[in-house]
Amino acid sequence: MDIVAQTIVSGILIGAVYGLAALGLSLAFGVLRVLNVAHGELIMVGGYATFFMFSLLGIDPFVSAVVVFALLMLMGLVLHWLLFAHIVRSNEASRIKNSLLIGFGLTLILHTAAVRLFSADNRTIFTAYSTLAWTVGSVRLPVVKLAGLAIAILAAVMLDLFQTRTTWGKALRATSEDWTIAALTGINVQRAYLVSFALAAGLAGLTGVLISVGFSINPSIGLQWTLKALIVVVLAGLGSVRGTLLAGILLGVAEAISSLHLGGEYREIVGLVIFLIFLSFRPQGLFGVAHA
Amino acid sequence: MRSRLAGWGLGGLALVAALGLPLVNSEKSVLTDAILVYLAAALALSWNIIGGFAGQVSLGHAAFFGMGSLVTRFLWLDGTPIAISLLAGAAMAGLAAFFLGYPGLRLKGIYFAIGTLALAEAIRITVGNVFPLVTRLPGEELRAYDLIARYYVFLAVVLVGVAVTVYLQHSRLGLGMMAAREDEDAARAIGTNVFFHKLTAFVLSAVIAGLAGGSFAFFHVSYYPSYTFSAVWTFDALIVVFVGGIGTLAGPILGALFFVLVRDVVAAKFVDTHLLIFGTLFVLVVLLFPGGLLEGWHRLWGWAKTRASSWRQEAGGQPAEGRPLG
Amino acid sequence: MLTVNSLQVAYGDIQVVWDVSFEVPERAIVTLLGPNGAGKSTTLRALMGLLPVKGGRATFAGRSLIGRSTHDIVQSGLVLIPESRATFSTLTILDNLYLGASTARARPHRDATLHQVFQIFPILKERQTQPAGTLSGGERQMLAIGKALMARPDLLMLDEPSLGLAPLVIERIFEVIEQIRQKGVSILLVEQNAQLALETAEYGYIINLGRIVREGPTADLMEDPLVKEAYLSF
Repeated sequence: MDIVAQTIVSGILIGAVYGLAALGLSLAFGVLRVLNVAHGELIMVGGYATFFMFSLLGIDPFVSAVVVFALLMLMGLVLHWLLFAHIVRSNEASRIKNSLLIGFGLTLILHTAAVRLFSADNRTIFTAYSTLAWTVGSVRLPVVKLAGLAIAILAAVMLDLFQTRTTWGKALRATSEDWTIAALTGINVQRAYLVSFALAAGLAGLTGVLISVGFSINPSIGLQWTLKALIVVVLAGLGSVRGTLLAGILLGVAEAISSLHLGGEYREIVGLVIFLIFLSFRPQGLFGVAHA
Repeated sequence: MRSRLAGWGLGGLALVAALGLPLVNSEKSVLTDAILVYLAAALALSWNIIGGFAGQVSLGHAAFFGMGSLVTRFLWLDGTPIAISLLAGAAMAGLAAFFLGYPGLRLKGIYFAIGTLALAEAIRITVGNVFPLVTRLPGEELRAYDLIARYYVFLAVVLVGVAVTVYLQHSRLGLGMMAAREDEDAARAIGTNVFFHKLTAFVLSAVIAGLAGGSFAFFHVSYYPSYTFSAVWTFDALIVVFVGGIGTLAGPILGALFFVLVRDVVAAKFVDTHLLIFGTLFVLVVLLFPGGLLEGWHRLWGWAKTRASSWRQEAGGQPAEGRPLG
Repeated sequence: MLTVNSLQVAYGDIQVVWDVSFEVPERAIVTLLGPNGAGKSTTLRALMGLLPVKGGRATFAGRSLIGRSTHDIVQSGLVLIPESRATFSTLTILDNLYLGASTARARPHRDATLHQVFQIFPILKERQTQPAGTLSGGERQMLAIGKALMARPDLLMLDEPSLGLAPLVIERIFEVIEQIRQKGVSILLVEQNAQLALETAEYGYIINLGRIVREGPTADLMEDPLVKEAYLSF
């Protein structure tokens, strides 16, 4: 019973990070109809940025989170301007395919560069409070991961408010629904794309912060995090920020519970199988909002 | 017509050279390099069928490479003659493609891409769990190891790939695939069974990938069974095809040559950095040269020809076309 | 105000518009008539920068339209209400209208314009917090017009505003169109419903197979035997 409770809690804690990882991917895909398969690599870069700010400058990761967010937003801006802006001119079918390919090329570049620059070793950030944990009953809640949960929820809330309360956010949702109507409405669609992509990259960076503190990073985590984000995006469906975070948590819990029964080696498969099932039978996901 | 004949001529020459190489130079490093090129070419040619001709970006190609290698390895190490093991591996890969493609190809475009990626990863993890131990060549096989035999096996796989590609380029089957690639609805409207063509492309590409995997199993002394299911094999195939020139015959082959060459040169100094180069090339290809190096070559050749003809005209006293007199 | 000369538009290799020339002066209602597939919508979309222009010229308020981004064209005062899919179903009516004032030109006057739109279409005010997807066809068209008005256009182009609507709704909409013109906005009306278009507009152009085949004051066109046979017979 204790083990089950602990497992579920661990699932929730990592699930929140899955959800955060998916938020950025979902935003970019929803607005630009572009699947940036290098999203995981951006997460990795965020992780390394946090790590080095901590190990070289002594800045606490939760403080540098804001900087990392901004840094990755900048990186997203540059990447969009250099690469993805050119693809969005094509029609929908080519656009998605080309974004897939460009993202793929980008993963090669970023991954290899990271190996060269940072070496292939695992890195984790150990702060003074890394081992602190709250104990509720028999369940251990590491402070670091709790903070991660809080940040993920905060990010989701802010994104949601942005999308529903601000004019810019509404413009992004509008572009997401139908860019042609958006353009005819007078919305600067190119700018909407830029902002979305930069935001998505920023969210990826934030995810990297959480991973570097709560878990560990190395240059090769890109692919597995892109897959995780993808799974959550398909599980949640497009268009709902709350749904995405929730789906991430659901995935985390599902993985955790199944690893109890099937053993840790099959943990990853659970997500992949869920993914394939939803892809085949319910592509709109659990909380998907109708899209044009 | 002339370039066609030239192409066939070059191909013939290349074939003769390939067949005769071990007779001229049987040094281990030379043959191994050639084998690596053939492996890359076979992977690329096989992916080209589903990705180039049929236009379906499959990111799960490694699953069939892996399946071929797994089946071949276990059968062969168990005593089955290598020829049968290879065929069995390819057949299993093809069968898997059939059963996976039947539901899988209902997914369109990007969903197919990420679906195949997820599937291949799931298979890789499962294989890694079920067969966690390294597979090693037993002693007597090591002693009887004949590199030249393996050279010809790989060459044969490439030739199969070439044969299938040429067939597709000139047959209704291939035409149907390309029609489906260009515009599914239009193809369906003129009576093409789009699904059949996509599935056939998928199975054909899997069979050849399976052959390549089986050859890999025949070639390597020891490796982890899940290694051949790793996504890197898919990625390598994609790189070679796109950088070389997707949808063509020469593209995957020249791309393979280029790929292995650069990898060898760069890896001498920094392992894996060739991927940085190829990643950049890949991006450039997608953005600027969708036809890959082949397109770049054709453009260069075309530019050179127009330059040459305008020089000839000027030398003869006429102004070159398109430029005013005086 | 809007001058189009020998416009050519192609979808990739397929050319749809071969030679279209027309003019919409200030404070006028001009109609562009023609059968399905004649190239009417294609022309409109090309003018708004949604399709590349293969040849010809198009100027609005003294500036060329060709090669400009759509939002920039909207900013200069040219607005199109497309035939279908003119509103955002997943956003509320109010948000739709707010977004209508996205351009720098329209934003400062947003609340004032909104007030006007609500006066013209009270039902939009009533239902303002509902998602646009819950509206009926006629209401959706009203929202589309309201949203277009939020952009404070100098020239409003309407692509088949009567399509699929009940006669009473059509009447109301055409009343509004006249109201808009009274306020000084030029109108380009693209319609299949020739009768209605010729009654509403002052000048008309007939387009067929990508070319202008007839033009003239609508009074004349209504008497033209070709027009009568092709478009006014039932």
